[in-house]
Amino acid sequence: MAFTDLPIAKIHSIKTTDKETLRKWFHLLVLGRLLDDRAPNYLKQAIGWSYHAPYAGHDGIQLAIGQIFDRNTDHLFPYYRDMMTSLSAGLSAEEIIFNGISKDTDVAGGGRHMSNHFAKPEWNVHNVSSCTGNHTLHATGVGRALKKYHHKGVAISSQGESSVSEGYVYEAINGASNEQLPVIFVFQDNGYGISVPKKDQTANRKVANNFSGFKNLRIIHCNGKDVFDSMNAMLEAKKWAVENQKPVIVQANCVRIHSHSNSDRHELYRDDYELNYVNEYDPLAKYRRMLLRYHRFAEDELTAIESQAKAEVKAAHKAAMDAPDPNPESIHDFVIAPAYVSTKYPEGIHNHQGPAKKLIEGINETLKAEFRHNPDTFIWGQDIANKEKGGIFNVSKGMQQEFGVERVFNAPIAEDFIMGTANGMARFNKNIRVVVEGAEFADYFWPAMEQFVETTHEYWRSKGQYSPNITVRLASGGYIGGGLYHSQSIEGALTTFPGTRVVYPSYADDAAGLLRTAMRSEGMTVFMEPKALYNAPVAATPIPDDFEVPFGKARIRRPGSDISVFTYGNTTHMVEEVAARLADELGAQIEVVDLRSLLPLDEETILNSVKKTGKALIVHEDKVFAGFGGEVAALITEKAFEYLDGPVRRVGSTFTPVGFNRILEKAILPNTEKIQDALKALLNY
Amino acid sequence: MKIGLFYSFHAKKTAQTAKRIQEHFSSEELEPVNAETVTPEQFMSFNALILGVPTWFDGELPNYWDEFVPALEDLNLTGKKVAIYGAGDQKGYPENFVDGLGIMAQLIEQQGGTLVGFTSCEGYTYESSKAERGHQFCGLALDYENQASKNKQRIADWCDQLRSEFK
Repeated sequence: MAFTDLPIAKIHSIKTTDKETLRKWFHLLVLGRLLDDRAPNYLKQAIGWSYHAPYAGHDGIQLAIGQIFDRNTDHLFPYYRDMMTSLSAGLSAEEIIFNGISKDTDVAGGGRHMSNHFAKPEWNVHNVSSCTGNHTLHATGVGRALKKYHHKGVAISSQGESSVSEGYVYEAINGASNEQLPVIFVFQDNGYGISVPKKDQTANRKVANNFSGFKNLRIIHCNGKDVFDSMNAMLEAKKWAVENQKPVIVQANCVRIHSHSNSDRHELYRDDYELNYVNEYDPLAKYRRMLLRYHRFAEDELTAIESQAKAEVKAAHKAAMDAPDPNPESIHDFVIAPAYVSTKYPEGIHNHQGPAKKLIEGINETLKAEFRHNPDTFIWGQDIANKEKGGIFNVSKGMQQEFGVERVFNAPIAEDFIMGTANGMARFNKNIRVVVEGAEFADYFWPAMEQFVETTHEYWRSKGQYSPNITVRLASGGYIGGGLYHSQSIEGALTTFPGTRVVYPSYADDAAGLLRTAMRSEGMTVFMEPKALYNAPVAATPIPDDFEVPFGKARIRRPGSDISVFTYGNTTHMVEEVAARLADELGAQIEVVDLRSLLPLDEETILNSVKKTGKALIVHEDKVFAGFGGEVAALITEKAFEYLDGPVRRVGSTFTPVGFNRILEKAILPNTEKIQDALKALLNY
Repeated sequence: MKIGLFYSFHAKKTAQTAKRIQEHFSSEELEPVNAETVTPEQFMSFNALILGVPTWFDGELPNYWDEFVPALEDLNLTGKKVAIYGAGDQKGYPENFVDGLGIMAQLIEQQGGTLVGFTSCEGYTYESSKAERGHQFCGLALDYENQASKNKQRIADWCDQLRSEFK
């Protein structure tokens, strides 16, 4: 059971807190409210700030979150209503307005992310998604790093109470509870998710109590409208989390004085009585009254602070109006962080002679070699490490024995958690490289898609300030009689997202080389593993111990002059078999290009090959319709049309799921017969 | 013994209840005091007090009482008898029914005051309440949203009870 009744030290009160601290807080609260109230004016004047979620009514808890945050030790994940949190954490009024009106000087990311998403990655005030609550997984992930590196600090995740309805929030808190991580989850409860009252979200009015059965977790309730109660709650939460190395939920009761945002009209669903009483409990007005009532400040002292804040906002406004806008030519900057550059194998080709190793050996040995190379490398996934078992296909066999449970460990069966905590943990320092087995089979990666998409955004959105250095391993494809959920090829979907690389080897040596490059690069790489080839003799090759394959370098597996075939993964071997057969039978010279890397794509090799042969066939295991081959075909027709002597054709799966019965599977997936038919037709065209 | 009746003069249901309470006492017996501007001196000038403490939001004191708490924490209430009433919503907020009443009661006891005016929990349906002491509320619980028709009698019975308990 969670700890729910532990006492909270009353460190702050109107009577005991020193005057300078009270002054600082009043100044911040006034400054924040001036900015919050002013924000809609920028939209009215068509200057910007088209998304503004006012924080008024959350003043106490947001002040407290920012005040307990220490940029030297902690990580803060504010959500889109956390203006006061950000100011209190140290952002300036100018920085708030730069973000609001999306200037190039916006420290969150130069105007790339939505307004009202305040951040300063330089201080570990992280730039988070608009996808509400998804940063809880990042907080848990970086909390894992805090613990593993014995770092004295906490991760603080802040969110609205309605976002707790998201399944990944459960995953994050479950993980923090299970791993006993120093993470504070703050639920700012204003009673609404936009217009949806919290009774429509969950049965408990205090959603934190839904987690009361969790072990290793402390739950604290506080009045988020009250500065002192909020400060005492947050100080207690941080102290307890650090001392006990366990997570805390702080549920802060707030009021939302205004609409959810400027695109919401709360008068449509709140009556006058409610609108009146939320105004009555204005936290700033309450704090001001108490300063006077308990004679801590005189009226003229408060007025002077208010005047000072007004002058600051005026100056910040002027600076913001003079600040530069983002340069449209910069849009291609920071799409993905730099890849590792291979000096030994710049083309990703070798002449190594030695015993042939299976594809699974190539991956396993490279993982181990890279773990030896970089002590800040970690791997986790579902089913990845339990005694002699290392993954569903034993790809990670022996790793936990060699590198220990601190670096090689199982994850709960929660794909989004696997992906999201990778994104979080990589924030701790730039040397960290995370490898995740994204799902037991690529087919099960779909629950992780929201974190995958999120991760593709990070580098661009933060204007290069944060790069998630992650390799996502996925056992992919069919030909094992696996049916609908053990046969999918998902690269067609994954390659639509800027901000990731996608590689798909066919042979053991390329698997080893691409994996090494992925694990030494910055940014995210999806490493697709054709599971049907793990132990296939046809995919076994000699592998140099230090082999590296750069991204975006295709490999010509068989030179030819009559037709170019572009392929990858399982189908590479089928194409090579057919090409050899047609050479014997018909004397056809078919060039087989193993793409290896889909994103980035080796356009140069593709176009040069087409210019040489004049005909192109694209073969992949995924569906033809909307499969990755469509992109290759479009590239060829756009840039090499005048060299073509026939239509660009494609061979792939039918536009159906993959059936379980082997008869169905054979009818659906591409095979040598289908490839041969297509090649003969194209030869005769 | 003159009784001080402390409630927010701008409140609706709490003030309505105060008005009914006043009907059961003479003006010589009862003196209304606005809780929004209450001072420690006013609070200490009575040995019998009735406090109108509704529950706001999910189980909080109203801001005007909350702002008085730091002052209350400095008062020695030994020898004072305090009765508390407050409205809640047992259907809309069943987890925190009349919590405000319970929070105030705890503060009064913490400062040495004696609580009077306990009432039975029978006839109410809720999940939990900080005002619950065994099978009794440590004051008068009213529910204008769901049991408005019972308020008049409950107030009358309570006032009769207070007459004897304040002696």
